Amino acid sequence: MAAIVSVRDLTKHYGQLKAVDGVSFDVAQGEVFALLGPNGAGKTTTVEILEGLRHADSGTAVVAGIDVTKDPSGVKERIGVQLQSSAFPENFLAREIVELFALFYKRKVDAMALLRAVGLEDKAKQKSEKLSGGQRQRLSIAVAMVNEPQVLFLDEPTTGLDPQARRNLWELIRDIRKRGTTVFLTTHYLDEAEVLCDRVAIMDSGRIIAQDTPRALIESLLARGFSKPMLQQQANLEDVFLDVTGHALREE
Amino acid sequence: MAQIVGYTAKLLRAYTRDWVALFFGFFFPLIFMSLFGILNFGSFGHVAMGIVDNANNADSQAFRAGLAKIATLQVTSGSSEDELAALQKGDRDIVLVMPADFRIAPARPGSAVPTLTVYENQGRGEQVAVGSAILTQVIDQMSFGVTQTAPVVATKREAVQGRNLKYVDFLTPGIVGMTIMQLGIAGVMFTFVVDRQRGVIRRIMATPLSRRNYMAAHVLERLILAILQVLILVAVAVFAFKVNIVGSLPLVLLITLLGSGMFLCFGFAVSAFVTTENQAPAIMQLVTLPQMFLSGVFFSRDAVPAFLKPVSDALPLTFLNDALRQVSTAGAGILDIRADLIGIVVWAAITFFIAFRFFKLET
Repeated sequence: MAAIVSVRDLTKHYGQLKAVDGVSFDVAQGEVFALLGPNGAGKTTTVEILEGLRHADSGTAVVAGIDVTKDPSGVKERIGVQLQSSAFPENFLAREIVELFALFYKRKVDAMALLRAVGLEDKAKQKSEKLSGGQRQRLSIAVAMVNEPQVLFLDEPTTGLDPQARRNLWELIRDIRKRGTTVFLTTHYLDEAEVLCDRVAIMDSGRIIAQDTPRALIESLLARGFSKPMLQQQANLEDVFLDVTGHALREE
Repeated sequence: MAQIVGYTAKLLRAYTRDWVALFFGFFFPLIFMSLFGILNFGSFGHVAMGIVDNANNADSQAFRAGLAKIATLQVTSGSSEDELAALQKGDRDIVLVMPADFRIAPARPGSAVPTLTVYENQGRGEQVAVGSAILTQVIDQMSFGVTQTAPVVATKREAVQGRNLKYVDFLTPGIVGMTIMQLGIAGVMFTFVVDRQRGVIRRIMATPLSRRNYMAAHVLERLILAILQVLILVAVAVFAFKVNIVGSLPLVLLITLLGSGMFLCFGFAVSAFVTTENQAPAIMQLVTLPQMFLSGVFFSRDAVPAFLKPVSDALPLTFLNDALRQVSTAGAGILDIRADLIGIVVWAAITFFIAFRFFKLET
């Protein structure tokens, strides 16, 4: 499979701090790829360089055929983004937010179709700031799709969501992948990475310290003789939670 | 270009849903104007004149009747003791004592003319000045009438303005100026500081939209809002309060655009140093309150204490208010207000430079 994101020896310093310290990895076209790591590992900085929002100090990063270290704004045409701790302008209806962002790409879109794809059809006439956390994340994915991107970047998309909303978003991400869009996400939830991702890279202190499929990473850990006390349990607390509260998405 | 216009249109649409902004931008100035207009709070246009008529003959009565016809004057008559007591209490601005030998007749060579004694309330300098000026004019006109000589100087136009200037006439351009200031500074500060802090701008800048188009749409939105606001204020002033706009409305709108541009630059310059939402209201008060009181919004700048005069003279709103007021109340043309326009342009240039140097869309 061809690589749609190709990163080589990427570095970025903030003063003395090496936020990104010689990072290299590839993301294949059509896969769901996750960059994992503790807070401050350099995930967001790496992603923001790939999104053309920050300049790298050195190295190359080719995203959808564009070298973002040379043409950071050119890449914006070809990708969709969902940023951490960002918001939409106030007093716009959900539908208008989609149309507004389409205008930023100088495109005409069927806003209702995009909202329908993320299950927000009936919220089209609601102000975006009045939506619940999960709905807002889905709106931001609809907005990220207005330019039919080749790669969709999602920075911690499920942080702060309840289990129902989280599962709902996983479904949405799988749908997007089925339609052929490559998904690049960061997350703190390893169960999420395990069920959702084709491949993951683990980052710490600005370096990639492991990358492979979740299965292969687990196998290699076990092959090194790792074992933990076996607790034969057929269900966990989340299964209980979802069993008693149901899978249906909640209105907040 | 289509992108800028489209974005501006969407911003305006969203603005109509923002009740807080609508209240402060549109209704607040109207409330201000209505309140001050109805209370006639400044009572600027009225000069309380007491007349003590010691002659009480046909001539003195004619003279009094002439004064009573002038709208600016609130004429009362009474005994010398009563009127002077009222003056001391502050109920009169000016008291006129007519001598027993008062008459309107050509002066004969060598004989003295009747002398009017004028007592002035020193605390009300402006009203005294207006009252004296009117009095002088009336006497001059009477003299011309008696001596049958044509006036050597035409003073008619001055007299018309002096008589018709009501407080709302004075107030309206001040409110217009204040509104332009509020829309410019508050609009920029609250929109950009809040959007910057919430990550709205960061999200928008992750699209191919250029910074230039982003700024252009927001500035265009503010200019359109300013023009709309001024048109509404002027319409209410003219139809509800019978305000007389003497000068040209297009010139008022031109000044509005210039003033708006100046205060937008001013807003961006100040916003460059405001990092959080919580600082915005405090900084806003800090930069707008002094201008509301020192730039002649509600009261004439003559009331500003001498030591603050240089500050008052240099404030951006002073130039804007003076320009608007001269056009609105005195019918000034563009050349008459060139000093004010230069002041506005200089302020715009200074604040534009500061904004250009220090204002950041992202933190």
